[in-house]
Amino acid sequence: MLESFMVKKDSLKNVVKDGFVIGFKFDVRIAEYRGCFLSLHNGYYINIDGTEYPRGLQRFEINGKAPRDFDEIAKCVWEHWDYDDPGTVYVQAPGGLAPGRHRVGVMQSLFTQYGWHPHDEEMIKNPPAPGASVGGKQDAVYYYDMIVE
Amino acid sequence: MAIKRGVSFYSYQQEQFFGKMDYRDMIREVREALECDGVEIINEATVPRYPFPTEEFLADWHNTMARYDMMPVCLDGFLDTLRFRDHVMTKNEAAELVKLDLRLAARMGFKHIRTMTALPTDVIQRALDTAVKLDVKIAWEIHAPIPIKPDPTIKGIFCDNPGTAVAETVEFIEKTGTKHVGFVPDMGIFMRAPYLDGAEAAVRRLKDKELAANITVLMKQVPLTELGGEIDKRYPNRLTPAERRSFSWKRHADPEDLALILPYICSIHGKAHDMVEIPGKPGQYEEPAMLYEEVIEFLKKNNWDGYICTEFEGQRSKQDQGMEQLADEVEQVRRHHEMMKRLIGE
Repeated sequence: MLESFMVKKDSLKNVVKDGFVIGFKFDVRIAEYRGCFLSLHNGYYINIDGTEYPRGLQRFEINGKAPRDFDEIAKCVWEHWDYDDPGTVYVQAPGGLAPGRHRVGVMQSLFTQYGWHPHDEEMIKNPPAPGASVGGKQDAVYYYDMIVE
Repeated sequence: MAIKRGVSFYSYQQEQFFGKMDYRDMIREVREALECDGVEIINEATVPRYPFPTEEFLADWHNTMARYDMMPVCLDGFLDTLRFRDHVMTKNEAAELVKLDLRLAARMGFKHIRTMTALPTDVIQRALDTAVKLDVKIAWEIHAPIPIKPDPTIKGIFCDNPGTAVAETVEFIEKTGTKHVGFVPDMGIFMRAPYLDGAEAAVRRLKDKELAANITVLMKQVPLTELGGEIDKRYPNRLTPAERRSFSWKRHADPEDLALILPYICSIHGKAHDMVEIPGKPGQYEEPAMLYEEVIEFLKKNNWDGYICTEFEGQRSKQDQGMEQLADEVEQVRRHHEMMKRLIGE
């Protein structure tokens, strides 16, 4: 239930590369009581002011490494996302977000679970997109009012 | 021979999340405020860079434990079976993960690891040599809805045969004669009422506001044990199945069932959701949902020797209400130890 505090206040910013705004970013914590192997982190459902930004547009920066997309993250079966560490979600969105207030909806997708379950094979074959409820654990989009300077 | 007190640092997850307590602060709290020495950790919360901690972390861990003269009781591990993403974790791979936790536990001084509920005996078998070599026990958690006495109707969680897993593990222990396999029973199997925080959260989240108001009144009139039944009687078919679960409860085991596993209990999870003051007894607290008095009495009568480690988990249901309404983990754990001290007879 730490989801209410998952996205860090004041962290929503546009990302500029070579003089162009190529997207935006925000900082997150793992909304659990423990960290997890990085491969279990499957991205985010992101909805800002009614526009969705799917997993394919997202990259995640953690452990001092350059931002990686979530297909790459899925291969990190020995790297850990520690409970104490914030990570940064980068979203590709040419032009970025307009300055001012935004309604930011986020749902974190983690495939952490307790042991074997009947859904396991299906989860491997067809991993649900972020935003789909998994085992009743991630069951809601959490909203944050955030400001882009 | 005695019941000893400890704390699982699961209890302070919120303090850790907000950066208010790290493992050093938790260790100091347990020694100085709770006046006990038992320490249980969550591997993936306490150990930076799990499962490969730095030498610096290990040195600081041992130094801090030594400074406060603490006892490392149990390291809690997990079994994330989807981790490899291209296949479901096999039992052999699960055994390798258990071995990693055993090695980490040995390096940190722990006497046993808490593994996933209903860990199959073929996984245990494959990791057993490592457990013996390191002298660290493999103890799986008996967590609701898993009973102590066999119930083959329980299916679809943890493994193939979760409902009979305790009996199968006891048979394994007795057949092999191993001293390195056991259990960590969670107090949540000994229910006597629904969790108060769960019932309160369910009322708060009810879409039917009129019903929510009625249940709030009802909660003051009937004992918590009877709340679910009363709601069903007075307001039939008004709750969704999920809402209904928050007011109902089930006793998965009786305290006497512990006799079946007594020699194999490595430690106990002293679960707590709400430590409330006992009416007419200022400064004395109880957990309304669980049979603490009966369980501790049974353990005392049978001269059980080991740690009960507080596992406060009442913080999670309150976190959707903003910073002001957060549970006070430190205070709740202190209240839990007031109760334990009193029931143990320290």
